[in-house]
Amino acid sequence: MRSKFVALMIAIALLGAAVPVWAHHAFAAEFDANKPVKFRGMVTKMEWINPHAWIHIDVKGEDGKVTPWMIEAAAPNALLRRGWTKNSLPSGTEILVEGYQSKDGSNRANGSIITFTDGKKLFVGSSAGDPGAAPGAPPR
Amino acid sequence: MNWRVFASMGLLISVTLLLEARAQTPPAVSGKTVAASKGWTGPKTPWGDPDLQGIWTSDDCIGTPMQRPANIGERLYLTELEIEERETQLARQTENDKQEFLAADTRAGVGPPPHWGERARRPCKQTSLVVDPPNGRIPDLTAEARTRRIPEGAGNNNPRPASWEDFSYYIRCITRGVTGSIFPVIYGNGAQIIQAPGFVTILHEMVHEARVIPLNGPHASPNIRTYMGDSRGHWDGNTLVIETTNFLGNKTGVGLNGGGTPTSDALKLTERYTRTDANTIQYEVTIDDPKTYIRPWKVAFPITQEPGYQNFEYACHEGNYAMFDSLSGARAEEKRENREQ
Repeated sequence: MRSKFVALMIAIALLGAAVPVWAHHAFAAEFDANKPVKFRGMVTKMEWINPHAWIHIDVKGEDGKVTPWMIEAAAPNALLRRGWTKNSLPSGTEILVEGYQSKDGSNRANGSIITFTDGKKLFVGSSAGDPGAAPGAPPR
Repeated sequence: MNWRVFASMGLLISVTLLLEARAQTPPAVSGKTVAASKGWTGPKTPWGDPDLQGIWTSDDCIGTPMQRPANIGERLYLTELEIEERETQLARQTENDKQEFLAADTRAGVGPPPHWGERARRPCKQTSLVVDPPNGRIPDLTAEARTRRIPEGAGNNNPRPASWEDFSYYIRCITRGVTGSIFPVIYGNGAQIIQAPGFVTILHEMVHEARVIPLNGPHASPNIRTYMGDSRGHWDGNTLVIETTNFLGNKTGVGLNGGGTPTSDALKLTERYTRTDANTIQYEVTIDDPKTYIRPWKVAFPITQEPGYQNFEYACHEGNYAMFDSLSGARAEEKRENREQ
């Protein structure tokens, strides 16, 4: 039992060290774990940029005031391999976003959970998926 | 640690536990990595060199730990049962990726959500990326390397960055080094090999490194030093051997994405690319840096060609908001701390 526990601790230690290095940047430096955000917004544009895509949305408050927000999404390369293109999310689409606000208090957030208003995930599919997962690629 | 990051670690933890559970299995030690499939003869280029051209990815070994957990000892390969269980895990992951709705208990986290990552298509058969020393552990640092002053931005990030220079070369979109460019990470593991008479070029997707490697020539003068070093290739039978020297010292390390202890100007890398079947190259690299490690060591893993897999543009810095956010976040934290004092 003890050895199992030790193995788990080793795994956590290894992963704890590895995860921030894996992604292109350290999330803890960018977003504030004490500032959760959750809103419904209308897509105004999707910036299909490296190293990560950003979704721009307009969020209407209870007083009717519209506030623009930027939501960080996955790397465009990874999205492409899931079958996405920059035309996959047209302006005007309503989405639900849950995440955490940037530490500097500006209207940027990570998009931890992004769904359509009916609850369907925005990003469905696997990068490891079927032949031709990359759009336009000829099957071997 | 927020739960979502924790959840995304679940798969690797499971693999480690699985390995631990099987640790009693008699070790099937093999220092050698996979040889060419029996009877298979690789294609040749029109000018007669072995043909390695194509787009290759190290995705299958995503999540395989660099170093082997000590309790697995000298066992380099997973057992058949472990591989079966890993296959089941991958199938489950693919199923989850394809689900149209999130699980009811899904909660938001600060870390990268699962859909950000690219996926292995089949189980990596190894228990660690390090294959030599036989225990799969990175050798100790030399006394000099242990006391070497590591510049803030070398391979790692200052948790309270004051300048763009406090970010790693990876985050600054400068380089991940030679090994960091091919070792499997969460995404962007593509490498395109293009050959011409007398040259091999390797284009890595993430951070867009293009290595132009002359075959059979002498190295550049030792006075010429770069992040990616000076590479010279030759053929050993069907294996492409690339020796790289002339590195700048104290820049990137041999960890994932160029992290870890930065290597020295004495670093010599010897890479071997051996096509073992139509869609697989066995990759090996020997890291020999007597100023940094007490002995040479070797990392190996397969890279594969996949249907439809392409390299895409990686204009690394075009929208690097994360750097801006991290710097402004650090300033906001400082302001808050000053107010609290």
